[in-house]
Amino acid sequence: MARDSYQEKLETLQSDVLYMSEVVVDRLRLALESMEQKDDDTAWEVIDNDSEVNELYLDLEEDCIDLLALQQPVAGDLRLIASSFKIITDLERIADLAVNLAEYTLDADRDMYPEVDIQAIGTTTIQMVEDSMDAYAAEDIDACYDIADRDDDLDDRCRRASETVMRDLIETEIDERSAESDVEALMQDVSRLLLTIRDLERVGDHAVNIAARTLYMVEKDDELIY
Amino acid sequence: MTDNTADYSDQSTQRDTSDPTNDDMLVETDVAGAATESDQVAADTIIRSRDLDVFYGAEQALDGIDIDIPENRVTAIIGPSGCGKSTFLRCVNRMNDRIDNCRVEGELSLRGKNVYDDDVDPVALRRRVGMVFQEPNPFPKSIYDNVAYGLEIQDVEGDHDEIVEEALKRAALWDEVKDQLDSSGLDLSGGQQQRLCIARAIAVDPEVILMDEPASALDPVATSKIEDLIEELAEDYTVVIVTHNMQQAARISDKTAVFLTGGELVEFGDTNQIFENPDNQRVEDYITGKFG
Repeated sequence: MARDSYQEKLETLQSDVLYMSEVVVDRLRLALESMEQKDDDTAWEVIDNDSEVNELYLDLEEDCIDLLALQQPVAGDLRLIASSFKIITDLERIADLAVNLAEYTLDADRDMYPEVDIQAIGTTTIQMVEDSMDAYAAEDIDACYDIADRDDDLDDRCRRASETVMRDLIETEIDERSAESDVEALMQDVSRLLLTIRDLERVGDHAVNIAARTLYMVEKDDELIY
Repeated sequence: MTDNTADYSDQSTQRDTSDPTNDDMLVETDVAGAATESDQVAADTIIRSRDLDVFYGAEQALDGIDIDIPENRVTAIIGPSGCGKSTFLRCVNRMNDRIDNCRVEGELSLRGKNVYDDDVDPVALRRRVGMVFQEPNPFPKSIYDNVAYGLEIQDVEGDHDEIVEEALKRAALWDEVKDQLDSSGLDLSGGQQQRLCIARAIAVDPEVILMDEPASALDPVATSKIEDLIEELAEDYTVVIVTHNMQQAARISDKTAVFLTGGELVEFGDTNQIFENPDNQRVEDYITGKFG
């Protein structure tokens, strides 16, 4: 094997991207936990530590740029770097969405709607991110297609969850005797819940992006990219 | 392209555009079967080889090469030392004829005419297929005479001053030498000398320009100028370049052929495909540096 130090740098890049994904998944899990338990401390932990993910992102971006500029990678090596470069952007966005979820926890002043199982949707998205990163590590193209299929189910669940919230809002009786503050609280709960559902749905989209870039990395196949 | 009614068999160097196969340029008398054969060649193929073997004595340098090199494109040939890439290049204008124990088998055709047919005149062939070498090799003559040399030897008609100026312009050297055409070509820098050699090659208006590591002896600035020039030349000529510098191949070529040890052509395709997603694992290993 020639170019040993270059090969080591490529392996380090891939393992560093996987480490970043573990940090990001951890943030997502904590954000959902903070929501479920209405735990402001955990929410603050997610928000305060987001800068760590941003730093990881910038370091990895620099590693990719260095490899491109200094090693002139081609073929499979080039696709690994190009895909990793895109994947770290998706991971950084997932961390931002975890921060959003943590902020909703801080804003919420009462339990979420029991009819909408946010935790179950959240668990699905975490599993999708983990599986997409496993596919990246193992270069598993079947798993990439599987994640894309699962995202269709996730989208469907998110759409039905949003409909449930909207239906509930419509059916809520608001009359002249309702206190203004109650109406305001209801509006905030509904919009926060809709945003939560939308953000989780986006986490799923980022997992699909990771799977799509992994498929490109392995086979130069852009089928899943759009 | 200049006006042209000249006949190549009369040692002219101008191209007869009325004859797209140009077969009569290679031979004293046209060969009956050549037109039929050329009809089977894909429209944009100018150089084609089929089952081409080359031996130096008992040693096989090329093994069953099949390739279709397109016209007016830059085709790069890459591969490790001893893989036969220069041997292939030298087959195209029969430079290998000068090596005593070199034996060529199979087909290598230029516009459908096998250049190894008995009736092909190697001198006429080399007018159509120019060559630029690794080390700039200007003659110990003036800049003007270097470029005009081929015109005079081959008794090319027309205004030689104009042809020399045009060749120097096309070689991106005119502005640097127009006030010193009488100075020796050897007084130029290495990069300028190489562009002078390119001007000399294109002055006789070839169809194909073969380049064997044309920039490997040059510094990065001179290399950039040669690379820019190669891309421009492909508008009018077919360029086939052998290079050890894979990034150079990636930068300037449209098609890339990868020869590997054993004189095998392992993969030939669009340059972006070769460098982004080669089909062959040995090619992947070679271009990513895992080879060996």
